[in-house]
Amino acid sequence: MNEPDLVTPGSDGYPVGLHDLEVPPPIWVLGVLGPAPGVAVVGTRRCTRYGLDLAASFGAAISRAGWSTVSGLARGVDTAAHRGCLRLSGHAVAVLGSGIDHCYPRENKPLYDRIVADGGAIVSEYPPGTPPDRWRFPARNRLIAAMSAAVVVVEAAVTGGALITARLGAELGRPVFAVPGDVDREMSEGCNRLIRDGAHPVLGSADLIEELSLVIGPPARVTDTAHGIPAEGVAVSELPELWSLTVTETLVKLGRLELEGKVRRLGDFVLPP
Amino acid sequence: MYAATTSVALVGGDVRGVEVQVHVGRQAEQFKLSGLPDTAVREAKDRVRAAVASSGITFPNRTVTVNLAPAHLPKSGTDFDLAIAIGVLAASREIPLPGRVVMVGELALDGSVRSGSSSIGAAVLSARSGISCVVARSAATEVAAVPGSRVHGVSSLTEAVALLREGVDQRPPAGAERGPEPEPPGDLAEVRGQPMARRAIEVAAAGGHHVLLHGPPGGGKTMLARRLPGILPPLRDEEAVEVALVHAAAGLNRGLSRSRPFRAPHHTASRAALVGGGSGVAVPGEVSLAHRGVLFVDEMAEFPRSNLDTLRQPLEDGLVTVARRGITATFPSSFHLVGATNPCPCGYLGDRRKPCECRPAVVARYRQRVSGPLLDRFDLVVKVDRLEASDVAGPEPDSTREVRERVVAARSALDEETPALSGQAEGQLAAALESSLLTARGVDRVARVAATVCALDGGSVVAEEHVAEAIGLRGEW
Repeated sequence: MNEPDLVTPGSDGYPVGLHDLEVPPPIWVLGVLGPAPGVAVVGTRRCTRYGLDLAASFGAAISRAGWSTVSGLARGVDTAAHRGCLRLSGHAVAVLGSGIDHCYPRENKPLYDRIVADGGAIVSEYPPGTPPDRWRFPARNRLIAAMSAAVVVVEAAVTGGALITARLGAELGRPVFAVPGDVDREMSEGCNRLIRDGAHPVLGSADLIEELSLVIGPPARVTDTAHGIPAEGVAVSELPELWSLTVTETLVKLGRLELEGKVRRLGDFVLPP
Repeated sequence: MYAATTSVALVGGDVRGVEVQVHVGRQAEQFKLSGLPDTAVREAKDRVRAAVASSGITFPNRTVTVNLAPAHLPKSGTDFDLAIAIGVLAASREIPLPGRVVMVGELALDGSVRSGSSSIGAAVLSARSGISCVVARSAATEVAAVPGSRVHGVSSLTEAVALLREGVDQRPPAGAERGPEPEPPGDLAEVRGQPMARRAIEVAAAGGHHVLLHGPPGGGKTMLARRLPGILPPLRDEEAVEVALVHAAAGLNRGLSRSRPFRAPHHTASRAALVGGGSGVAVPGEVSLAHRGVLFVDEMAEFPRSNLDTLRQPLEDGLVTVARRGITATFPSSFHLVGATNPCPCGYLGDRRKPCECRPAVVARYRQRVSGPLLDRFDLVVKVDRLEASDVAGPEPDSTREVRERVVAARSALDEETPALSGQAEGQLAAALESSLLTARGVDRVARVAATVCALDGGSVVAEEHVAEAIGLRGEW
C-alpha cells in the first residue's frame, strides 16, 4: 500500500474547511481526499439496527449525490455510514483518533483498506505510530466537523462523541441534522435534544439530500447514477414515462443499466444499487 | 358370403384404417358385431337394419357377422354405420363389391347419412393412401380441404349405393371449401395501457416463449392471453389437419380452421382432463387440444400442484402418451403455455394503491404451489398492473393484425436460422453470469429471448441492444 502524505495548511489538497479551525493542524492523509464537499455522518457506537440501516442509507444517499461521506471509522454508526457510502462506490473519508497506521477498532481493518482501495482517504492529525487513546477522540471530532459542510447525527446518547461533533460543527457554522427518535430511548435523546436546540430534523434520506442541497448546492451525480430512479424504487411499467422513452428503448436501457450494475431489480421494482 | 369395406378409427391424434369384415351365413337371422365395439358401435346393428329398410333395400334375414379389424383395437362412436351397411349389402350381394373406398358416416333410421367426427380422419386416410373416401355431404366440402384427399359427399344410404354402383372414380370429388374463419375474440388494440406486457406478448408470440403473466386482479391478464392466438401465424395446412384430428378424437369438430386453438382449463380440472384419459378409447386432454395453439392456465397457483406438474412432461416432449386399459395412445401436445397468477392470495401484493392483506408466510406458501421446474419453463415473466385512468388515455396501440405481421416475419426468420450471438452479446452474457445478475439458466433464457428480439428487429446477429432488451424484459414472479 502507498505511503501516507503529510499535508500542511495552505498547501494543495489541504481540506478547505480545516482553515476554519483556530489552529489548522497539518494532517496525514492515506489515499485521496478529492475536491467533493463532505458530509459528516456520526453517531453512537452502541446503536440499534434502525440506526445502522439509517446510517448506511444516508451514506449511500450522500455518495449518490456526489458528496464525500466523512466519519470516524468507529463501531456502530460510523462503520455503517462508511459501508453505505462504499456500496455505491462513493468517496469515503475516515478521520482517525490515532496514528494513521493504527486501525482502531482492529476489526475495521478490511473497511480501512477498502476505503483506501476505492479511492477514499484515511485522515489523521497524529503522526504514524500514535496509539488510539480515548482522550484523542474528541479532538478528532473537531476535524470531522471542520472537514464537512454539514453534520448528520444518526443516533446519540446525551453524553457521547457524536454530540461533541455536532456542537463543534455548530460552532464552526456547519448546519447540524439529527434524526428524531422516541423520547424514552437513550440513543434518541441526544438527537432529540439537538433538534430542540435548533438542529434540522431528518425525515429520511431523500429529505436529507434535499436539505443538504440547500447548503452545499445541487447534488452533482444524482441523475447520472440513479437515472431518475428514486431511492424507494419505481415499477418497471412506470419507466417509459419516467425516462420519456418507448417501451423497447426503455427495456434496452433497463437491461444495460442492470448489466452495468447501476440499478437492481426487486421483483417488479427497479431500485438504485 | 363375404365382403369387406374400409372405415377409419381415430387413435391418438392419428388415423388407423379399420377393415369392416362382413359375413352373411345361412343360419337363422342374427346380427353379431365383434372387434371391441363400445355401446355406440354396438347400436349400429339397429341403425343399419332400419336405415337399409328405409332405403327400400332388403336386409338379409340370415346370420350377419361383422368384425371390425384389427379386432384388438377398441372402437367407439357411430361413424362405422355407413361402412357396416355397405358391407352387409355387398356380402348379401344386394350391391356389387365396392372397390377400395373409405366410408365414414352415421346412419339415421330414415337412411340419411350424418356427419361424425371421424370424417376428417377419412379424408386424411384418403390423402395418405390415395384412395377415395365417402363421407356425409354436410362434412364433405370441409374435409376435402385436406391436401391430397379425394372426398365424395353423400346425404343418404341410397345415394351412397348409387355412387358405389357407378364407381367413385367416375365422379369428380367434392371441391374444398373452408368455412369462414371464426373472428378472434377481440383485438389486441382493445388492451389499453400495459405497454410492457404487450411487448412481452409480442416477443413471446414471435419466439414461441412460454409466458407467465402476474399481477393483481383486473389488470387484463386474461384479456392479453386470449389475444395471443390472434397474433400467432395462422396454422399451415398440415398443422390444421393435425389439430383437427386431435379435436376429432375428443369428439370436437373444428373443421380445418387455420386459427390457433385456445384452451383454458379451469383449476378444478382433473389430471385426466389435463393430459388425457378416457375409458376404453383414449381421449386427448387439454394439453393436446391446445396442440399448435395456446394453453392458458389461469389462476395457476390455485391448481393442485400435482396436477400442474403433469404439464411438465408434455411441455418437454411435445407429445403425451395416454395409457388406458387395452390401449396406449400418443397425442401431440406442443402448445404455447401462458400462465396467469395473482401475486398473492388476496391479489394486491405490490399494488400501487391497495394494501396487501396476506401474511408473508401465506404468500410464500402460495408461490410454492407452482413448482420450480415448471416456473423454469417460462422464458418471460410479465407483470400486468392494474390500470389507472391515465393509462387508458393515449394513442391507440397496435392492432392484432399489425402485431401479427411482425410476428409472422420474425417467425419465418427464426425458422430459417436462429440468429447467432455477436461477440459483444456473448460478453454481456458472460458478464451477467459473472456478476450473478443472471444464473446459468437465466443466461440461456435471456439468450433465447434475445434471439427472438433480434428476429423481430429484422437482424441476423444478436447485438448488444437485443441482449439488453431481453434482460430488461425478464422478470420474476
